[in-house]
Order: sequence, then structure tokens, then C-alpha cells
Amino acid sequence: MNAPDTLVEELVEFEDRMRAFVQAVTTKVPIAQTPKTQVWSLNKARLYRYDANPQAKHRHRVPLLLVFAIMNRPYILDLRPGNSFVEFMVGRGYDVYLLDWGAPGYEDRNMNFEDYALEYLPRAIRKMKAISGSSEFSMLGWCIGALITTIYAAMRPDDGLRNLLLLTAPLDFTNRDGLTFAKWTDERYFDLEKVISAYGNMPAEMIDYGAKSLKPIENWVGNYCKLWDNLDKPQVVAAWQAMNTWVTDNIPMAGAAYRQLITDFYRNNLLIQNRLHMGGERVDLGRIRANLLTVIAEGDHITPPCQSEAIMHKVSSADKHLYRIPGGHIGIMAGSAAHRTTWPHIETWLGTRST
Amino acid sequence: MPESNEEKAKTFDPFEPFREMRDAYLDAMSKTMIESVNSEAYAKASGAMLDWSLTATVPFREAMEKAMLQAMQQLSLPSRQEVAALAERFTNLELRVDDIDAKLDRVLTLLAHTRPGPPTEQAKRRERPAGQES
Repeated sequence: MNAPDTLVEELVEFEDRMRAFVQAVTTKVPIAQTPKTQVWSLNKARLYRYDANPQAKHRHRVPLLLVFAIMNRPYILDLRPGNSFVEFMVGRGYDVYLLDWGAPGYEDRNMNFEDYALEYLPRAIRKMKAISGSSEFSMLGWCIGALITTIYAAMRPDDGLRNLLLLTAPLDFTNRDGLTFAKWTDERYFDLEKVISAYGNMPAEMIDYGAKSLKPIENWVGNYCKLWDNLDKPQVVAAWQAMNTWVTDNIPMAGAAYRQLITDFYRNNLLIQNRLHMGGERVDLGRIRANLLTVIAEGDHITPPCQSEAIMHKVSSADKHLYRIPGGHIGIMAGSAAHRTTWPHIETWLGTRST
Repeated sequence: MPESNEEKAKTFDPFEPFREMRDAYLDAMSKTMIESVNSEAYAKASGAMLDWSLTATVPFREAMEKAMLQAMQQLSLPSRQEVAALAERFTNLELRVDDIDAKLDRVLTLLAHTRPGPPTEQAKRRERPAGQES
């Protein structure tokens, strides 16, 4: 054994790892690679239709619309080849559409949930039905997208919604002690109007800071330690980079929508109590009749399980299922195990209801 | 004996003990920080800090906005408010166009159903699976 050479080798290896680490952290990788075509647009919103997979053995008649949150990019559903829910469903013969809300500008600061749920979403659905030729459709809402799709399902139950899938849906804000965001935005501590009047829209940086502050060590230190420890594993690095590309690509939230999220939902919990009003009408969750699948992530610290359970007792759906799965808010759909757990469960449930 | 020493030299990772200490420390810190950010005290403190920063920056923001508005007017350029108002009007126009598109779709659908003979392009397009549209 020659100690000085070993030490030199260690130092050289350390330098190489540092270079690889810096490159991995600072490089954006291609994402959202599943081929698609834009079929509709309105303001910043875009509706995409994914190209059919000719190798799919069976084609499902009922189209599937994917709706994500309004303050994150929706391509988390199509992160990268081999880890894409969109790719998975297209490969199983589904006619998949994705609604990208786009990034609101200062001119969109007055857009609220009524605009998203009762103006933009119905128009996108109308176009999807016209293109697909199907009068019925399935809709998957994730996170705030689930909130929007729930409002739509309650206000437009006769529009042809056959299957409603809600993933980590923040619908019930009763348990405020269990909701960190509810504590932070409490009216005693958080001057909502001051923030909105200062910025117009809720800045992406503040939303990102808030989400990461829920688990500060994991998000600001542990995440990078994981990358450092796995620099010699190209698959792990590629997955990390794809997720990092999405995590660092936040968008602002329209000011009026943010105001409504805090006031009507976090502070006053109007939706689950059937006291929310939109377009002059009460949003009655009992009007939801579509087949319902609610997916809860048991390790979700952003939308704890308690927020997604009560909906099961509020809807009139005869066919409804609650599926609990270990994992976090994003991990259950975009993590490495999603293709073995969440996706097959969703596909199995939806497949028998899409004929 | 010499072989066993070489093997030990090859497999020895000088950073492994450090990594284990790091992970243990991070686990402990993580639990502490999660408890901390979930506390009322943190909510109060972060709210106070945000409030202070917004209050402190108000004079600068107002001065900047006033200066920018004057500069824009002198350069005969539209202000932010004017551009935003114009963008809102564009969005209203887009809504009208989308309404017309919807009516047109309905008319074409009705025509396709009432007219006998070969299917229309729109009917063919509707029957064609995704990705095979010309």
C-alpha cells in the first residue's frame, strides 16, 4: 500500500465528483417527451392531445383528461421516457389529453377558481369531446387540479363526466391543526391582501419556498446529499435531474385564485361544507355522480390524507373507491415505484369503466 | 497477510464514517425542523417577517412605479396597466372566438348527422384514432 498515492487518488476522485455534482445540479434535461399535438388554446391555457401508440392492443373509447395544479408545470405527468404516467396510459390504449394552464401574467391577476373551473375547463372539455367524438370522458385531477375538477364535477354533472379520479386532493380543511399551510396563512399572522397588492400574482418563488419549508432539511440538504451519494449511478442522476428540472420550474399563481384558496378554502373550508358559491350557484358536492376514485398518499405532507377522505361521504356516486398508497404528494405518481403501484391501480380501475 | 492488507486498502472508504454521521445528523435535524415549522411560533414569526419586508419595501416600490410610469409617458410607451388592460381585452376576444368555434362544431355535427352519403371530414376525423389525423 502506498498512502500518498491513495490520498492523491482520493482527492482527484473528489474533484471529479464535484464537477459531476455541479453539472448535474445546473443542467436542465429534456422532459415531457411523449409526442403530442396542441388542439386548443385560450389565453395561456393549452390543451394537448397525445399521439396514439400504434402498438397498444386495445383502444379505450372514453378519452382521459389530465388536470394538474395551477402553480406548477403539468409535465410532472410526463416527466421522462420510462417514468411517465402519460406514456403508460397511452401505451395502454387511452386517448389522453393534458390541460396546461400556462403561466399567468400580471393581466391574469383577477383569475379565480370560477374562471378555471367554470370557464376554461369546460371549454377545454368541449374541444376534447368534439375531437374525440365521445360524449363521455374521464378526468384526473391532481393536487389543486383535483380541487378544480371537483368544483367542475359538482357544477356540471350532466356534461358527460363518466369517471372522476382525484389524486392527493385538498378538499377538506377542517383539521387545521394538521395542516401546516393553514397555520402559516392564519388570519392572525398572514396579511393576504398586503401580499397580493404588492405582487398582483403570488410569486413562484414564494410558493416554492413555502412548499420546501414543509421539510426544510430534506428539500435543501438531503436532496443534494442523495445526488452526491449516487453520482456513479447514471439512472439515479437522470431521475434526479428530471425531477429537479420540474421542481425548479415553478410558475406564479393568479392573485384572485390565491386569495380564494386562502380565504374560501384554507380559512373558511367552504367547499366540503357545501357553502362555496360560484357563478351565483352553490357548489353542491352531492351533485357529483361520476364514478369516483380518490387516491391518497399516506406520507403526503403537502395534502395530508385527512383532506381527501370526506369527499367519499359527500358525493352521490354509486361507484366510488378510496385507494391509499404509501408515498408522498409527488412520489406516488412520479416516483420510481409509481409504475408498479399507483399507475396500474389507476389503469385497472379506469379500464373497466372506459368501454 | 500482505494480500489481506491490500484488500483492506481497496475496500476502505474514508468518507463512509462521515456519511453515516451526516445521515444521522440530518435525520435528527429533519425531525426537529419539521416540528419547528409546524409550530404557532414559526407561523407568527414568518408572518411577521413577511409583513415587515413588505412594509419596508412599499416606499421603494411606489417610488419605482411612479418613476417608471413617468418615464413610459415621456417615451410615449404604454404602461404596465395599459398593457395588462389590452391583454385582458385580447382574452375576451379569444373567448368570443372560442364561442364561435363551439357553435361551428355543433353546426358541423348536426350537418354530418342530417346529411346522407359519405361521412364528412370532421366525422372521419372523429372516428380516426389520435395520432393518425392528417
